[in-house]
Amino acid sequence: MNVALCPRMAFRGVIGGFAFFAIGALAGCSKAAPAEPSSNLETVPVTSIPGHESLLEDTSRKSEARLIPQETLIRNYLSIFGGLSPIDLQTRLRAGSTNLFDSWTDYLGALGFPNYESDLPRASRTNALMLASFERIGVALCDKAAEADLGKNARALTDRTVFRFEMPAAAAPLDTQGFTQRFDVLHRTFLSYPVALAPSDRVTNFFALYKDILARHQARDAGVFTSTPAQSAWAAVCYGLVRHPEFHLY
Amino acid sequence: MLHQDRRHFLQLLSAGALSRLVAGPISRALAAESAAASDDFFVFIHCSGGWDVTLWSDPRTTATSVIDPPSTEFVDTARLRLWQDAPLDGTTKTFEPIVRGNLRFGPGIGGLVDFADRLTLINGVAMNTVSHPDGTYYSSTGRHLSGGRPVAPSADVCVADALAGTQLFPVVSFRYPTAYVGSSLSPRCLPLQVDTVDTIAKSLLRAQTTTNETDRDAVNLMLSAEASTLLGSSALTTSLQGYKLQIETLRKMSGDSLGPLFSSSALKAANFTPATYAGRFQGATAVNFSFAVEAMKRNAIRSISLTCGGFDTHNTNYRSHGENQQETFDLVASFLRALDGAPHPTKAGAKLTDHVHILITSDFCRTPNINTSGGRDHYPNNTSVIISPKFRGGTSFGSSRASDLLPQNSGTFADGPRPVAPPDLLATLLSSAGIDPRRYLRDGEVVSAILRAP
Repeated sequence: MNVALCPRMAFRGVIGGFAFFAIGALAGCSKAAPAEPSSNLETVPVTSIPGHESLLEDTSRKSEARLIPQETLIRNYLSIFGGLSPIDLQTRLRAGSTNLFDSWTDYLGALGFPNYESDLPRASRTNALMLASFERIGVALCDKAAEADLGKNARALTDRTVFRFEMPAAAAPLDTQGFTQRFDVLHRTFLSYPVALAPSDRVTNFFALYKDILARHQARDAGVFTSTPAQSAWAAVCYGLVRHPEFHLY
Repeated sequence: MLHQDRRHFLQLLSAGALSRLVAGPISRALAAESAAASDDFFVFIHCSGGWDVTLWSDPRTTATSVIDPPSTEFVDTARLRLWQDAPLDGTTKTFEPIVRGNLRFGPGIGGLVDFADRLTLINGVAMNTVSHPDGTYYSSTGRHLSGGRPVAPSADVCVADALAGTQLFPVVSFRYPTAYVGSSLSPRCLPLQVDTVDTIAKSLLRAQTTTNETDRDAVNLMLSAEASTLLGSSALTTSLQGYKLQIETLRKMSGDSLGPLFSSSALKAANFTPATYAGRFQGATAVNFSFAVEAMKRNAIRSISLTCGGFDTHNTNYRSHGENQQETFDLVASFLRALDGAPHPTKAGAKLTDHVHILITSDFCRTPNINTSGGRDHYPNNTSVIISPKFRGGTSFGSSRASDLLPQNSGTFADGPRPVAPPDLLATLLSSAGIDPRRYLRDGEVVSAILRAP
């Protein structure tokens, strides 16, 4: 029996001092505890101990999902898309493309940063304009990453920042398993956990998006794009992850 | 006997509480249901910095020991169209008040004087503060700040919450003291707060090199489905509900039909004259007013709030204070003309202007005396203007003392005789829209004297 389960002994221990407590504990409480060598102790599952058949854990949320602080958000963008400084990334996003991005300072207010000059507080919730800005920035970042990782002059797999997987041969369409393997890489990168632990329809939703955009871009009247159909489809998957509610709320 | 009385009192109390419990949500739901069918629009204009009421709404032309009337010595009068000299002191002149019906104005009223019969002028508004943030939020929320933060929702959010319906943008706020405070507000009426329309336009710009609009719409559709999935497993849903609604709003914002709404060049071409947009003080603000007109025409908003700045004139910048007033009220007059010429988006045969309710406020007013720098400082009196078909036009309510420009009692309220205050105006405005003021406001009484008979 555990000493703590013998309140009288504990009380005496407090009153009479540690020596008396120790003697009392041995004399009064240790009858049921065999003094066997520890190597002979059997290990049993916790659930087999009476009273421990089920251990309840309350995993429900205790507060509303909160918006990730804006500084953290920018840091996430920077680290996921190459670990550059804000100015370096801005320069890279503006290079060679039209209307892809302008400057971070144009979006600080829209992203919810406080403006102490105008006495505007930090945004604590998303709004439609913020989501529009998330989309603008997400499109710029994903387009550039897809171009660098999956484009004609794709980087080596080890040098890639986002799309760290091999693309199938051009003629071979991706099946669910092939998509899931690659999507899992992105899912871990953006949302920090394996897709197997996500809600069951996540792969279904993203795979449907992938196939939809791939098919649309493979069509003859798809329009003029500088990317391949697969590149566009993976860029769209990237948009979905970098703007996912789980990316912005916690 | 005492026991019986106490028991009786407790019974009454519990019965009252029960009836509130039963009737509260139902009546609120019914109110929300009926309110959601509203065809009205609400415009809140805040003139930030604190305006000089002696130059327009509460004209003073006689000097006393405390009051220095606006005069040629301290005001640049050349640009004030309605300034007509009147004798003051030797070569120094003051202005001749402009009289329209029961109302008297100073020259700062500008073009709004043409709409005098629609104005409900509330003078002698007791502000009880001379702090900019406090006065600003007191005007918009009816509550003084607590610890520097607003403690109640602003009126633009209140009407949006009560009457948003299915509006794309329940409330858009251009630098207005908008406050989204309170746990019972709908996430749909979370204000879209921006400096200018350009901010929105820039955020909607997309490159077309890798994907197009259709592709991005598919992503948004998928994200909406993802939010729904997460909502299904969440006990606390406000944030995710808001996210889902905002994704839906973004899909509509990105659509072709609303494109011109967010282009400042398109907006400048749509309303007002080029001179309005080139204004010295409110030229940039005029684009936001044009957005308001266009958004109402498209039935895309319920409540819009705007700020006209530049009224904080402590020194020689006071010389152009009147010109700023004139430009601001010229802009409001142009806004009214644009509304007059526009049909209502959902009510066949109705004019837009018959369903628009406008409240114009400021932080407070400026001192009646000129300071040593030639300007005027902060003063705890104020004027507000309401332009609404639900209010009696060409009417003035409340007044300030002739001796010192401080608010004087304007009537007997539940707490006795006192001057009218911002919560009273907000309560009256909400009440006129069929909204129970107590749903949002702690203070304030409905001033029926300024309301038209139903």
